[in-house]
Amino acid sequence: MADRSNEQWLLDLQSASGSQSLALEDLRQRLQRGVFYYLSRERSDLTHLSTQEINQMAEDLAQDATLRVMENLGSFRGDSRFTTWATKIAVRVAISDLRRARYKDYSLDDLTAEGDTLPAGATNSVTGTPTIGPENETERADVMQKISRAMEEALTERQHKALVAVALQDVSLDTLAEEMGTNRNALYKLLHDARRKLRSHLEAQGLTTQYMLDLFRQD
Amino acid sequence: MMHDEQLRKIVDHIFQAHPEGVITCEECDRQLHCLAEKVAAGASLSELWPEVEAHLDCCPNCNEVFQALVSILRAETSGALYAADN
Repeated sequence: MADRSNEQWLLDLQSASGSQSLALEDLRQRLQRGVFYYLSRERSDLTHLSTQEINQMAEDLAQDATLRVMENLGSFRGDSRFTTWATKIAVRVAISDLRRARYKDYSLDDLTAEGDTLPAGATNSVTGTPTIGPENETERADVMQKISRAMEEALTERQHKALVAVALQDVSLDTLAEEMGTNRNALYKLLHDARRKLRSHLEAQGLTTQYMLDLFRQD
Repeated sequence: MMHDEQLRKIVDHIFQAHPEGVITCEECDRQLHCLAEKVAAGASLSELWPEVEAHLDCCPNCNEVFQALVSILRAETSGALYAADN
């Protein structure tokens, strides 16, 4: 595989001659190798797949990523190696694709129906689960009640839904943005504002950042 | 029912509103590949660009891409990338 400078990559990929198809193939192979490494070494959720299956996934994703790179070629600023920039695009394609598969049936209605949100009272957080040390149970339960109340009082319904989905359900911003009819940047700001409001609300009650982090990190 | 891990998650989310101000995912993305190259070569993200680090702490999406990219770049340097598909 030819080792090209950034300028050479751009020239070849935009060339009208045969060097374009060669560069495209080099790029696709390079992205496939990176994606394969990521899927096979870094994704614990894919360990049940055979090498052949992962290789097939990597091949498909690299194909999509190559197209995406070509569509965005004009936005490459030359501030990194071209292949690093292209690999970033490939990684985004891979992660988005895996997330879409994971959340393809996700709905905010399901989330609400499951009731997997903050409990009205925190006492149920310790029922039957020995995860919280008894010496801090009461203190944590008290704080959880305050968090729960703060979420009800300080947040809009939209902020509440978004925070619960992201913080407790690990729902991706892309999936949630689509579900909420917004985009990822707007959602990020919505969440940022929600966290800030909650933090102010709780700090006004004497619950400082350090106190909260310490309390919930104690074993 | 909330388990300890979930309690930690919600507390972390609430208290990770970063003081440096909001960097959007778009702004973060514009820097991600350059920073990943430097971090893969041994630089510290907190010294390079603390605002981006704060964004990554709060944004699992961008963080996942960043970590994956750094990992691939390191594997490329060490030769592990080429060993992986053999």
